[in-house]
Amino acid sequence: MSKVKVIPCSGIGKVFGLMARESALKVTNELKPNETETVCLAHIVTGDEDSKSKIEGFPCITIDGCPKLCAAKNAELAGGIVKMQYRTVDEMRNHRGVDAGTATALTPDGWKVVDELCEKICEKVDDILKEEK
Amino acid sequence: MADLKIGVLSCSGEECLGGTISRLATRKMLEELRPGQTVTLCLPLYLAGGEEERFFAKAFPVITVDGCSKCCAKRATEKYSGKVSDIVDVSEILGNDVALDKTVSTKDMTSQHMEMVDKVAKVICEKFDKIAENK
Repeated sequence: MSKVKVIPCSGIGKVFGLMARESALKVTNELKPNETETVCLAHIVTGDEDSKSKIEGFPCITIDGCPKLCAAKNAELAGGIVKMQYRTVDEMRNHRGVDAGTATALTPDGWKVVDELCEKICEKVDDILKEEK
Repeated sequence: MADLKIGVLSCSGEECLGGTISRLATRKMLEELRPGQTVTLCLPLYLAGGEEERFFAKAFPVITVDGCSKCCAKRATEKYSGKVSDIVDVSEILGNDVALDKTVSTKDMTSQHMEMVDKVAKVICEKFDKIAENK
């Protein structure tokens, strides 16, 4: 069975991009390493055939930092089947007033928000894999 | 020269250590080494954004910072925006084995990783200053 691709935007200007990146790394490296993998978004952006073949026709979960939805749009353009789009900016709406950190480093509160999002992503991964069976 | 802004654009690749180093070295330019003079852009905005983003390399001299020899930041910038002024390839500075090593979360960065970031940021700074001198 193919692994679910978890693709973050890794936006560099604001904390939301780092939250997206860290969520993807945690899911793919720690929580679901056998069921998920990530793909360099920069490689997808170049239109490279290698990266296209990694995601074309495969289920993807995208994690974006802002409403521009770079990860979701680029994954779709490359032929990925985007089963779920998350936005870290939306996750922060449940944590109003919390200082999550910067685009360089997260605060402990920022990590808590990432951990919550990772739980949701893992549930979605399980759902997708059930559908695929 | 005081008003000169130079773009530093990293690949921020998710699949290898070089991507994390490229991202953090770029953040170091923005926050510590050349704050106020460094501007950046999220690379995937070339496709997801609009004309404004595609004008980036025309509006600013750009140094791309790539984590591996695929040089995605350079290729994407030159494909969608314009010629870059200089390039930094982490794999050339730290070696291919290091650049292609398993990616790390910022929470697992060691002092050794931070030294790598400093080394790459130093090279970006040298290229940055050279561009600034010639403007």
